[in-house]
Amino acid sequence: MAGELRPVSLKREGDGLSIEWSDGVTTFATWRHLRANCPCAACIEDRAKPPDPFRVLTPQEAAAGPPQPVAMKPVGHYAYQITWNDGHATGIYPVERLRQLGEEKK
Amino acid sequence: MNPGMPPKLSLPGVKHVVAVASGKGGVGKSTVAANLAVALRMSGKTVGLMDADIYGPSVAIMFGLGLVDPQTTPFPLEKYGVKLMSMGFMVDPNQAVIWRGPKVAQAVQAFLGQINWGDLDYLVIDLPPGTGDAQLTLSQSAPLTGAVIVTTPGEVSLIDARKGVKMFREVRVPILGIVENMSYFEDAAGNKTPIFGVGGGMKLALESNVPFLGELPIDPRVAQCGDAGEPIVRKYPDSPVAKSYMALAATVAETAAKPTSGALPEVQL
Repeated sequence: MAGELRPVSLKREGDGLSIEWSDGVTTFATWRHLRANCPCAACIEDRAKPPDPFRVLTPQEAAAGPPQPVAMKPVGHYAYQITWNDGHATGIYPVERLRQLGEEKK
Repeated sequence: MNPGMPPKLSLPGVKHVVAVASGKGGVGKSTVAANLAVALRMSGKTVGLMDADIYGPSVAIMFGLGLVDPQTTPFPLEKYGVKLMSMGFMVDPNQAVIWRGPKVAQAVQAFLGQINWGDLDYLVIDLPPGTGDAQLTLSQSAPLTGAVIVTTPGEVSLIDARKGVKMFREVRVPILGIVENMSYFEDAAGNKTPIFGVGGGMKLALESNVPFLGELPIDPRVAQCGDAGEPIVRKYPDSPVAKSYMALAATVAETAAKPTSGALPEVQL
């Protein structure tokens, strides 16, 4: 466990999340990129489908505007759960996934 | 809050929470958990044992306890100096607990968070087999110090134990080590006969790069003591298997005391 990559600090920076890692690297991912890559089962399924141009947004989604986190809490020793301003909260982001998303530079 | 997401529980009086797990059923996880808890107690530690096997609880019978009235009985119960909580105290052994996963998760959380465990050096958690609701709930919501993986020596047990190791790795719960149960039978002349194969526990420990905590021999008295409600480590403290358990308790205590990477930092939003 000792050599495992760990986040040292996580903070909001502009329109995204900046993470300092135990290997000295700092990554940044926009909230939009994180929201678009929500790892919950429902979102994974939605991303596998062709886009539906006629999908009607819920009133909460329509009112939310650009994705912003309402809360982001550690889950056990391995992940973070983000609650979004559109009400979505089922995504649990393992720290390895947060690192990947940060390295994609979006 | 996502209904599937358990709240984070804190157990401020408990120094170490040790889960006893395996991939496979029938490898003696509950026996190991019960004897480990009693062995830790006999080493002078304050100990609790929580039975997270909601469908098939064993702690009640292994400690010679039965049904109590949950309305009037303060939990945890205590026997042989070990604080105990089990579904077996609340559900008639002739009744089946027929619950879907979320109810299991709720029960596990209630056992952890709503029972007054008080000040403990070790809370040992006897997990059900597999990598399902109870394991995930504990990994997400309990401040686990680490997990002890129990296996028998054969490959059939190892293939499931590997899944247990993999799961705890994925959720970053430290694996304190592998215990091999039912390693061999030793007759009166001291001849050791391996009944279920040889060396599986060590093999898994080496391939997973985790400590091998030791072998536990087969002794018919282990099962007799379990059925009679007094773990062998207490009933026959001079037996080889009891000595193995005392050694296991010392190793677990030593391994659990090593600093781990610990909790994740909070996010500054």
